Amino acid sequence: MSAVLNDLVNRPYEAGFVTAIESETAPRGLSEDIIRLISAKKKEPGWLLEFRLSAYRHWLTMQEPKWANVHYPQIDFQDIIYYAAPKPKKLKTMEEVDPELLRTFDKLGVPMNERAALAGVAVDVIFDSVSVATTYKKKLAEVGIVFCSMSEAVANHPELVRAYLGSVVPSSDNYYAALNSAVFTDGSFCYIPKGVKCPMDLSTYFRINTQDSGQFERTLIVAEEGASVSYLEGCTAPKFDTNQLHAAVVELVALDDADIKYSTVQNWYAGDEQGRGGIFNFVTKRGLCKGANAKISWTQVETGSAITWKYPSCVLLGEGSIGEFYSVALTNNLQQADTGTKMIHLGRNTRSRIVSKGISAGRSNNSYRGLVKVAPKADDARNYSQCDSMLIGSNCGANTFPYIQVRNPTAKVEHEATTSKIGEDQLFYFASRGVGAEEAVSMIINGFCKDVFQQLPMEFAVEATKLLGLKLEGSVG
Amino acid sequence: MTVTRGDFLDTLLGARPPTRDDAGWLSRLRAEALERANALSVPTTRDEEWRFTDLAPLTRLSFQPVRVAGTPDLARLRERFLPQAQMRLVFVDGVFAPGLSQLAAAAGACVSELGSALQGPRAAVLEAHLGRLAQFDANLFAGLNTAFLSYGAVIALDAGASLAEPVQILHVATRRDQPHAIYPRLLLAAGARSRCTVVEDFIGAEEAGYFSAPVTEIVLERDATVEHVRLQREAPGAFQLGTCAVSQAAGSHYHAVSVVLGARLSRLDWRVLHAGAGCQSVLDGLTLIDGRQLADTHSLVDHAHPHAHLRQQQKCVVSGAGHAVFNGKILVRQAAQRTDAAQSFRGLLLSARAQIDTKPQLEIFADDVKCAHGAAIGQLDPEQAFYLQSRGLTAPKALNLLTYGFAAEVIERIPVASLVRELECALVERTVESK
Repeated sequence: MSAVLNDLVNRPYEAGFVTAIESETAPRGLSEDIIRLISAKKKEPGWLLEFRLSAYRHWLTMQEPKWANVHYPQIDFQDIIYYAAPKPKKLKTMEEVDPELLRTFDKLGVPMNERAALAGVAVDVIFDSVSVATTYKKKLAEVGIVFCSMSEAVANHPELVRAYLGSVVPSSDNYYAALNSAVFTDGSFCYIPKGVKCPMDLSTYFRINTQDSGQFERTLIVAEEGASVSYLEGCTAPKFDTNQLHAAVVELVALDDADIKYSTVQNWYAGDEQGRGGIFNFVTKRGLCKGANAKISWTQVETGSAITWKYPSCVLLGEGSIGEFYSVALTNNLQQADTGTKMIHLGRNTRSRIVSKGISAGRSNNSYRGLVKVAPKADDARNYSQCDSMLIGSNCGANTFPYIQVRNPTAKVEHEATTSKIGEDQLFYFASRGVGAEEAVSMIINGFCKDVFQQLPMEFAVEATKLLGLKLEGSVG
Repeated sequence: MTVTRGDFLDTLLGARPPTRDDAGWLSRLRAEALERANALSVPTTRDEEWRFTDLAPLTRLSFQPVRVAGTPDLARLRERFLPQAQMRLVFVDGVFAPGLSQLAAAAGACVSELGSALQGPRAAVLEAHLGRLAQFDANLFAGLNTAFLSYGAVIALDAGASLAEPVQILHVATRRDQPHAIYPRLLLAAGARSRCTVVEDFIGAEEAGYFSAPVTEIVLERDATVEHVRLQREAPGAFQLGTCAVSQAAGSHYHAVSVVLGARLSRLDWRVLHAGAGCQSVLDGLTLIDGRQLADTHSLVDHAHPHAHLRQQQKCVVSGAGHAVFNGKILVRQAAQRTDAAQSFRGLLLSARAQIDTKPQLEIFADDVKCAHGAAIGQLDPEQAFYLQSRGLTAPKALNLLTYGFAAEVIERIPVASLVRELECALVERTVESK
């Protein structure tokens, strides 16, 4: 059985290539001078430089977290290039975009000019650290939505950025969030005004390009009263031999009756079969349901990265607010993932739901780590968690670390976890019905992940299903 | 463990080690444990394993070693004697009390105090197992117990031996002028195909203030069966930091029921290791606390061989400003294919200030396994209470009956009928009292 499984899992990374674009880079290493350089390059106001410097000073006093169930060589933070930007050019139309850049997107299957038009999706493209082109901005502007890169937001809407930046993930929150706050170069900013339903799904494509440049994006989404938005994030990265650090921070703020849906498909380079190379993905994602009846929903499909350390969380402060977390995490070869969520119930009648599906293959290690916390004032809070693991092959590991802390007797918290495998009897049954092993595995996996895929926007659901199939090619037999 | 070195530990470590004339290996074991305990410090909430159990109230006190046992209230003590137990070992303030104990000869078995066991024919069994299972490399409290080990209970069963009636190990703490430290110890070595039932009971005088660090080691050889009941009914002002380490050889059955009712602060580190194929373990636990009590149960079942079977059920009932902690880890190593493990945790919060922290943890490295865990925390179902009221019960009575039903499920699993009755009565009293 393992022969077929092995073939299934071991398909080479299709998005691995390096685009040769001249980039303007800062010298290696991190110091207050580098932070001043980043801030100066981006022509930032004084308060933002101060925000960065105080985060950096705090970061210096912090210890790298060791509690996660992942193992990796010591990261030399002085050996990273903290700023790399494509040479500045004035762009007016799509034709002016660096043709090399456009070819990169073509290879990835994202011909953005066509795709944007065909799919009706506004794409804010982050290439390394500087936003290169933004489309559909006008259409969004008509309804008052601000959707732009973080640098533009700092320049054009400083009052909004200043009010919300660091309000959900304070710069002293954790080691990587502090690092990000000090050196973030760009990211996306989205503001949905009161009562506006965003007319289209917003999506951003992140790509890490320059070799050895860590990427530190910062995303901030604010939904005012009664606003709603669906945000899609998809990731690929070219193939490199040296490890790359990625420490992003995503902050979501939902006011009264607002609704934010944040979906991610993460398929960064995971390293080769021997575990060489691959991205270190240390991300802090957190949403704050600030207003009554606000809703934040995280959906993620994590298939890439050598190491994933990611806990999209919801702070349920507003009365009757809702937090959701749907996740599929697939690890293969020597990948390690320690991912899950935190649901912090602070307000009354808050509800949360967690559905996590972990699939481990090869020699990988997949951990679910979650926290459900019910504060003393969160009367009638309700949580339901389900985390299921599937093991493919006998050399991988699946762990669950669900922390449950309840301080209120009216809370109702339920947690269930199971572990299963793709059994030979199941494959035999499929075979007896004329379904080959490869297709059978794909069907079983899709059934296993159905609860999560249903939450994804249509085009992502199709992509995710294909992605899991690709990733597992060769691992069942 | 991080450093908090205070009076608490210095007083304990400053105690004179026992000077009884023992075998050389035992002296060496003590010296080793003392050295290790000297190197360790009291865990703090910064240690992941102690995140929810703050030992600060303990470290602010200091406890004196016990030279001479106090006098227990005999009438109350006798109430705790199990009528059907043919053999009973009683320890008062950690010191063996032969006058209160009852020992009878049994074929192929030795039930005795450590001192006489060391002189007996099964001394080699002691040397092979004592201090081997309850490792003290990183466990300060097992280290302290081993370093100051002088009295202990020993049950050794030869291959095929069987004890029909339960053996009772009763530890009683008395009220003393100064808070004192006691180190209860039990070694149970069950030979191949042997069977026995052991009841460990920890009690204390109402006003007693003491620190107890009990260690239980249970070794099951091939196809042995052990039924283990552990009752923690320490005094309300007591601190108990216990360790229970179990090793199971192929085909053995271990069934344990742990009931936690007493102590101001208690913790049980419960480790079950499967050292052979086809082991069966059933772990049942009940914690029933109120006031300002803190009770922590940390269990680890280490499946290292194929075809293992585990059923674990833990229930917590917390009222007042009580705080219950449960961390249940199921580890399935790569070799442990075809393991079937299921764990369930249910917590009942009966008051606004009660709290429960739980982490049912699965670590699985084998693919052909069936593992599941479930955890639920909540309050009593108002619909059920309403139903009972519609049948004529008052509201408090309805809640009591439901609480009783919730907890009784675990108590009924105890294999000693008289004990089940006794605990059920205690449970009824307790639930009535709390209203």
